[in-house]
Amino acid sequence: MMNKFDTLPAVTAVELSGIWKRFPGVVANAGASLSVYRGSIHAVLGENGAGKSTLMNVLAGVYRPDEGEVRVEGVEHRFRTPADALASGIGMVHQEFRLVPSFTVAENVVLGAAARVLRRQAIEDEVGELAERFGLATRPERPVWQLSMGERQRVEILKALWRDARILILDEPTAVLTPAEADELGVVLRAMADAGRSVIFISHKLHEVTGFCDEATVLRGGRTVAASMSVPDTDAGELASLMVGSLPVTTERPPAHPTGPPLLEVSGLSALGDRGLPALESVDLTVRAGEIVGIAGVAGNGQRELCQVVSGLRPAKAGTVHLAGDDMTGASPRRLFQAGLGYIPEDRLGVGLAPRLSVIDNSILRTYEAHRRGPFIVADRAEAHCADLVERFGVRTGPLDEPMAGLSGGNLQRLLVGRELSGRPRVVMAAQPTRGLDVQGVKAIQDLLVEAREAGAAVLLVSEDLDELLTLADRLVVMHDGEIVGEFDPTTAARSEIGEAMIGHAAGVGS
Amino acid sequence: MNRPVLVRREQALRGGQPLSFAIGLVVALTIGIVLLLGAGHDPVAIYERMFVAALGDPDSWSVTLNRAVPLGLAGLAVAIAGSMGLWNIGAEGQILAGAMMAAGVARIGEGWPGPVLVTAILVGGVLGGSLWALGPAVARSQIGVNEILTTLMLNEVALRLAQWLIHGPWKDPDSFNFPLAPMIPDHGRLPTLFGRAHVGVIVALVVIALFAVAVNRTAWGFELRVAGSSGATARYAGISLERKTATVLVMAGGAAGLAGGIELAGTADRLTEGISNGFGYAGIIVAALALMRPSGVAAVAVLFGAVQIGGQSIQTMGVSSSVSTILQALILFGAIGAGVLSRYQVRMVAGDPGGDVVELGEAR
Repeated sequence: MMNKFDTLPAVTAVELSGIWKRFPGVVANAGASLSVYRGSIHAVLGENGAGKSTLMNVLAGVYRPDEGEVRVEGVEHRFRTPADALASGIGMVHQEFRLVPSFTVAENVVLGAAARVLRRQAIEDEVGELAERFGLATRPERPVWQLSMGERQRVEILKALWRDARILILDEPTAVLTPAEADELGVVLRAMADAGRSVIFISHKLHEVTGFCDEATVLRGGRTVAASMSVPDTDAGELASLMVGSLPVTTERPPAHPTGPPLLEVSGLSALGDRGLPALESVDLTVRAGEIVGIAGVAGNGQRELCQVVSGLRPAKAGTVHLAGDDMTGASPRRLFQAGLGYIPEDRLGVGLAPRLSVIDNSILRTYEAHRRGPFIVADRAEAHCADLVERFGVRTGPLDEPMAGLSGGNLQRLLVGRELSGRPRVVMAAQPTRGLDVQGVKAIQDLLVEAREAGAAVLLVSEDLDELLTLADRLVVMHDGEIVGEFDPTTAARSEIGEAMIGHAAGVGS
Repeated sequence: MNRPVLVRREQALRGGQPLSFAIGLVVALTIGIVLLLGAGHDPVAIYERMFVAALGDPDSWSVTLNRAVPLGLAGLAVAIAGSMGLWNIGAEGQILAGAMMAAGVARIGEGWPGPVLVTAILVGGVLGGSLWALGPAVARSQIGVNEILTTLMLNEVALRLAQWLIHGPWKDPDSFNFPLAPMIPDHGRLPTLFGRAHVGVIVALVVIALFAVAVNRTAWGFELRVAGSSGATARYAGISLERKTATVLVMAGGAAGLAGGIELAGTADRLTEGISNGFGYAGIIVAALALMRPSGVAAVAVLFGAVQIGGQSIQTMGVSSSVSTILQALILFGAIGAGVLSRYQVRMVAGDPGGDVVELGEAR
C-alpha cells in the first residue's frame, strides 16, 4: 500500500507548523508540527498529555493556536469555529460520541446539515448509499440507542463524510471498540484513504499504528519528536521509545514457579445481568496461590458480571464462590475484602473511587472502620495511611485533602491498586487495570500485579488487551457469552486460536 | 467576533465561597443603586437603613439571628440530605409539620413546668418534621421513589393540614370566630438571650455544629459522603445504602421540624399557616450557597437573615416591597454567580454566537 507514494505525486493535505498553545499553567503545544499527505492514514502518537488532542483541536477549529500556521491543501487558514474547519473539509470524530439516541442513524447523520425539508425515505437512501460507498455497514433506519459502540462510531464517521470531510480526524477511535470492530475500522479507513481522503488517527496503541497506518508523527511534551515516519520502515519498539523518550521498560513475563493451594474457587456460578437476562452460565474457575489467571474475551461476555459476583456486588443465581477454602457465596463486599479479596474494578471513577472526595478519604475507602475511634475517624491516622500509600506506590498528587478528581488517570489507578494491594490480599481480582493508561502507567500497574503474584497471591486478571494477558498470565481462559469456552497456555497458544475462541468459534484445550 | 465562554479552573479559588458572597453583595448593591435611583429614592440612606436594621446594634443583631435560625436549620435539612446526593425539597412542609406537632404538645402540656414544656415543644418539633419525612424516606430507600417529588408534594399537604387545624379543631374560641389558633402558654415560650434573640439561636447553632462534625469527622459522615459521591462506590466500600438513605432523610426532616418548634415557641407564639414563611425554600438556597456542607450553613444563614431583615426594614421608608425583594434576589444572584466564577473563569473565544458551540469545559 505504500507503493502509491512512489507512483503518485504526494500532495500535502494538512500542514501544521510551529503550533503553540498555552493553557493556564500548562503549555499543551510547544511548536508542534504535522504534515499529512492526501490519501494516507497518518498516526499521531504520544502519551497522555503529550499534546495530541490539543493539536487536533487546533486543526479542527476548537482551539485557536497562540502561534503557528495551519494550512489545508496549501491554503493558510485561521479557523474560529469547528464549523469553519468543517467548511474547509476537516471533520473530527471525538472520543465521546455526539449522537441523539432516539434518532435514527440517518437522522443523526443529516442533523444540522440538511437545510431542506426532510423526507425520511430519501435521507435513509442517501445515507445508505454513502455508507455503502465506504464500506460502512449500517442500517440507516435503526435508532441509535439500539446500536453497539462500533456501529455508533460508524455513524459519527458518516456524519463527517456527509459533511464532505476530506480530512478525517479520529481521536482514539479504538478505545471503545472490540478487537474485531477495531479491525473492521481499519478496513474502512483504508477504503477512505484509497478514495483520496486523508485520515489522522490519534492513538497510543502501537499495534494498531503498525497494523494500518502509513505514516506516524510522534509528540512528546507538546513537541513533535518524529515527523511523518514511514510506518513500514519502523517498528513498535522504536515508536514506543520515541513516545516515552527512553527505551520503554516492558514488563517481563515472570518466570513460572510451582503454585500453591487454590485460593479462589468458583464453581457452577450463574448470574443475571443488568437487564435480568442470564449473563453468567455455570462458570468454573480456580486460581491458585502464586499464579496469574487471565480472562480474555470480547467486552460484554460476562467478565464484568463474574467480577461483580465474586466481589459481592451482584447476587449469584446458582453456584458457589470459595475464598481460601471458605464458602463466601453471597458475602458482602466488605466481608470479602476483609477475608482477603483485593478488587480493582473496571470502572475506576464510578465504583473504585469517589472522585469528589479527598485523596485521604479515597485511601481509606475500604478500611475506614479500622481508622475509627468511637464514632470518629482519626484524621491523623487516615492521613498517615494515605501518605504511606502515596509514597509506596509512587502516586503523584497535590495536597492530600484536595479532591481526588484532580489526579491524572495513571495516578488515580496507582492509588486504587495500591489501596487494594496494601493489605497483602490473598486473592487479587483486577478488571481492565491498565486500560487508558500511558506506557509508564501500564508498566507500573503490571509490575504491581506480578509482585502480588510473587508474594503468593492468587491473581485473576480480566483484560481486553490480549498482549497484556499473553505477557502476564500463567494460564488463560476465554469467556464467551457468559461461559468459559476455552483454556490456553499463554506460552504456546496461537493468537488466532485464542481469537477464534473469543468470538465463540472453537473451543481450546481443556474446556 | 469574540464571545465569552466559561472555562473550568483547574483549581477552585481559595476561600472562594466567602469571597464570592462578598463580591455578590457589592455587585448587587451597585445594581441596586440604579434601581433605587430609578424609583426615586436616595440609595445611601436606604443602604444605611438596611445595615442599621440588620446589623447596626445588638437589638438588630438579635432580630437577624432569630431570622437566621429557621433559615439555618432549613438549610441544614437540605444540606444533610445533599451530602448524600439526595434532594430534600420538603423543608417547608417539615417545618410546618414540626410546628403543628409542637403546637399539639403545647396544648397537652399546658400544666407542665416551663423547662419541661419548652423541651417537649422542641422535641415535638423534631418528631413532627421527622414524621413528615418518614414517608419519602421509606419510599426512596425501599422502592426508589424519587424523593424530590414526594418531599415537594408533602409541602402542600402540610399546609392544608395546618389550615384545617387552624380553621377547625384548634380554632381559638376567644378569637371572635377569626381562624386563629390559641397562643401557646407563656411558660412554654423560649427564654430570651438578649434583645429579642431567644434560646433557639443556641439550639440551632449546636445542632448545626453537631451535624457539621458528624459529616466531616465521623465514620457515619464518611459513609454519607461516599454515598453522595456514587452509590456504586458506596456498595463497593460495603456501605448499606437503604438504611442510610432512610435515616438521613428522617434526620433532615427532624432538623427542619426543629425550626418549626423554635418558630412556634420563639417568635410566632401561635400556630399560623404562614409560620414557615418560605424558610423551607430559602433553605435550599442557603444549602446551595454553603455548597451542601453543613459546616457552612450557619454563616450563610446569618448573612441571608441580615439581607432579609434589612430588606424588610426599608419598606417603612416608602420603598415598595417589590424593590426590597428585588434587592434580596440580586444579592443572591450575585453570590451564586460569584460562586460560579470561583470555579470557572470567563475567557473570550473567537466565534459568533450562532456558530457551533465551543466546548472547552462542561459547566456544572
